[in-house]
Amino acid sequence: MSDNFVQAIQTADIAPGGMKAVEISGRELVICNYGGSFYAIDRRCGHMNAPLEVGTLDGSILTCAMHCAQFDVTTGEALAGRVPTYLGNETPPPRTEAFLKNVGMLMQHVRTESIGSYTTKIESGWVLVAL
Amino acid sequence: MNTESRKKALRHFYSQVVEPLGFKFTPDTDLADFLLEQEVKLEEKHGIPFCPCQPIRRDRTRDMQIVCPCIPFHRKHFDAMQRCWCGLFVHQDIMNPDSLPQLSAKEMGLE
Repeated sequence: MSDNFVQAIQTADIAPGGMKAVEISGRELVICNYGGSFYAIDRRCGHMNAPLEVGTLDGSILTCAMHCAQFDVTTGEALAGRVPTYLGNETPPPRTEAFLKNVGMLMQHVRTESIGSYTTKIESGWVLVAL
Repeated sequence: MNTESRKKALRHFYSQVVEPLGFKFTPDTDLADFLLEQEVKLEEKHGIPFCPCQPIRRDRTRDMQIVCPCIPFHRKHFDAMQRCWCGLFVHQDIMNPDSLPQLSAKEMGLE
């Protein structure tokens, strides 16, 4: 085993299309099984830090469960930002409307950044991640 | 965000929707590339990849009917044309998309 690689999870623990969060040396990662190949990315969404393992993996595209920001698990590249919120046709009560306006002003400065991805390899049924 | 990567992602998601409906991406790769690029720009602006060839009316019900791929909302019309309105998708048996004119539902007698 290379010195740089550390054991993350057993390959049998993640079915194809599945994801699992692991913590290695204080670093939070998500290990993804995309078509039988394993990829390791940072656990926190590049938009608002939500845990990505509760999102969905479709092909190599991971969609965050919080605001639907999307990332390519093979590279960590951000593919899309949040989806817009639809509040319906009715105008909310004034206090709610003011709150939403303030949140909207803050949110417009929030960008979706790419997340870190890490080299992996399989050895003796384990996924090893280079940290 | 990288436009090329987003185009690739949209292709991935769209093909899952249009193929069961009997459609495919147009064989005119330049056109497909151009239209997808416009959709990426619309998505950056509005958060939603609207059809680049139809107007956004600020009427949610109508606007949701032009979110790509909008085939399910215009099935009769698009099946009659064998293509979608902007031509990004054509019927799966179409090899020459240039032979398919863009005709309104009214022109085709569907309204």
